Amino acid sequence: MQKIDQQFVSEGLKRARYITNERIETAIYLALALEKPLLIEGPAGSGKTEVAKVLAEMLQTELIRLQCYEGLDEARALYEWNYQKQLLRLQADEHRGLGWNEISEHLFSREYLLERPLLKAVAAHRKVVLLIDEIDKADEEFEAFLLELLSDFQVSIPELGTIRAVERPVVVLTSNRTRELSEALRRRCLHLFIDFPGIEQERRIIELKVPDLDARLAAEAARFVNALRKLGLKKPPSVAESLDWARALVRLGVSELNTDAVRATLGVLLKHEDDREKAEGKVAALVRRSG
Amino acid sequence: MSTLGEQLLHFVERLRAAGVRISVAETLDAMNAVALAGIEMARMREALSATLIKDEADHPVFDELFTAFFRPPGEKRDISRKRPGDRTSISPASARSPGESPETSQSPETPEPHRSDKPRKPGEERKSKTPAKERSAEDERTTPHSGEATGLRKEEPRAAGEEPTPGIEAGRIARLHAIERTPFARYSDLEYEQAREALGPLARRYRVRLGRRLRAAKAGRVDFRRTIRASIQRGGAFSDLRFRARRPRRVDLVVLADVSGSVRYSSTLMLELIAGALAHFRRVRSFVYVDRLAEADFEDGHLVTTPALDLYARSDFGRVLGELWERRGELLNRATVLVIMGDGRNNRRPARADLLREMARLCRAVVWLIPEEPERWGTGDSAIFQYAREISALLRSGNLREMEKALLEVA
Repeated sequence: MQKIDQQFVSEGLKRARYITNERIETAIYLALALEKPLLIEGPAGSGKTEVAKVLAEMLQTELIRLQCYEGLDEARALYEWNYQKQLLRLQADEHRGLGWNEISEHLFSREYLLERPLLKAVAAHRKVVLLIDEIDKADEEFEAFLLELLSDFQVSIPELGTIRAVERPVVVLTSNRTRELSEALRRRCLHLFIDFPGIEQERRIIELKVPDLDARLAAEAARFVNALRKLGLKKPPSVAESLDWARALVRLGVSELNTDAVRATLGVLLKHEDDREKAEGKVAALVRRSG
Repeated sequence: MSTLGEQLLHFVERLRAAGVRISVAETLDAMNAVALAGIEMARMREALSATLIKDEADHPVFDELFTAFFRPPGEKRDISRKRPGDRTSISPASARSPGESPETSQSPETPEPHRSDKPRKPGEERKSKTPAKERSAEDERTTPHSGEATGLRKEEPRAAGEEPTPGIEAGRIARLHAIERTPFARYSDLEYEQAREALGPLARRYRVRLGRRLRAAKAGRVDFRRTIRASIQRGGAFSDLRFRARRPRRVDLVVLADVSGSVRYSSTLMLELIAGALAHFRRVRSFVYVDRLAEADFEDGHLVTTPALDLYARSDFGRVLGELWERRGELLNRATVLVIMGDGRNNRRPARADLLREMARLCRAVVWLIPEEPERWGTGDSAIFQYAREISALLRSGNLREMEKALLEVA
């Protein structure tokens, strides 16, 4: 295992082509060094999930992802017995006249256990990255259950005993704030808020990910998208969308940002009819300011 | 204990005094984090922010206090140019010159500090004309603290003429956070406009929460078909009961909002909030009143009443109740929840609480949202206690946050 220091983090991020800033770098470094879960909040499409992927790449390890949703329960998140397989085994054993003790010994072994993401992360033989995505979508009960797991990284299965993590996984939680997370969960995590990037940062992202785009146009695009986000839209364009837009501009052979080109491609950035209506009237002014 | 440790403890104390909730464990985390990240200013700031600040809305307070507390010795900033009464004197204290403890005379309620918008000093980067609370944390971060960036790569200087980009989302959250907690009693047209702006995200959140609450209440009778089907997977054992999704128990909402001077802001905001969540109710009828009843509607975000109301008339809720009682056949039934927003101040006219009692018998529930401070309930011409006896619940809704919570109870 590599020694984790600030240089390792900043170089790792650079290698993974993740444009970042002091805040993100420090938070990631601390999460690794203090072995604490990292709770990332921020608007949709600002690169929250990406952090976990980059971390996995940086540590050259596996990324285990748990996507949260309403009604997510332990059976889906932690483990479940594979009933079908157990039944087949029972039927196969029936004619061999085995006693219950012998049967149950097999029936409740790891072979019949369906490991869900949380157990997988705990039982892994090396350090993995566990991404618990959109934790705000899960129910409060699940959050409480998660708290316990995050504090000591062990899972008790009555039939098997306690499984303890050999290496504590790196845990990244993301939230879109559709509901307030509990204080207890917040207290246990380091907190990172990733906002939309500033103009300069976004320009660098566009240049890195869409190298075919002319540098001047990339700067104009970054300024335009930034101005668009300030209009108070229902769904401001995300970084992913501005990258899509940059690619669209390349495909259409646009050499400078003008009103027609923007109008034709606005659908890539804005996905709500209201937002489009709101922005269309202001396109000319925004283009002028971005140029 | 090291002097830096003491400094950090003081800093945590100051944050707590400003209303940020920080546990002992978090303080320990912060100390470990600083030990790891070092005392280079920008890194220490991020280390402390990651460990101490768990809600983005607290960031403006943190930024303000951090800048004041750990100011590098070279940088002299005139912090006395703050909002009057904000805090008066803070002695220079920095990680470099520990032992010098900060004298504070800070009032505990500084929910939303403003940084001074003074002109840029020579050699000091970053100052924009945007209001402090809109200025981003990122912007703050890229500030090279004079003489402090030891050995670390500096951020590229901004191109001349390019405005610093504020953290758009962070600014929005901070504004929403501040206005949510402003009591309606302190509203002027300015706050009302801010609240209207914040209402978009608030309405979305309300819809999501309301929808979730309704879905959570759905679990109904056992669904045999689906249970048997599920049991096939278990070799016929009914180990996994499936439940029939209960049809969402949507309510008929009749809203009655006082739009006379004292409570007009809270009433309009409530009507607008409900108007944004119509899909979650079976039927919504909105009425406003001063001394008479009028149907309310929103056209382009403006409240329109039919017939027109004299907003300067003297409130008379008794008469309004009378008018509603006459229309009971059309409006009130067993599925109706009657929501009333008002302060119950009736100018000493007949309260007609008896009518409210009769209505409560007809409806599923009558809920009264009151924007007034509890100390003022029942004082002067307030008849609120007479009404309170006849209704299902009297819910305080002194600011947007309380109002949202109260409205969630209604559904």
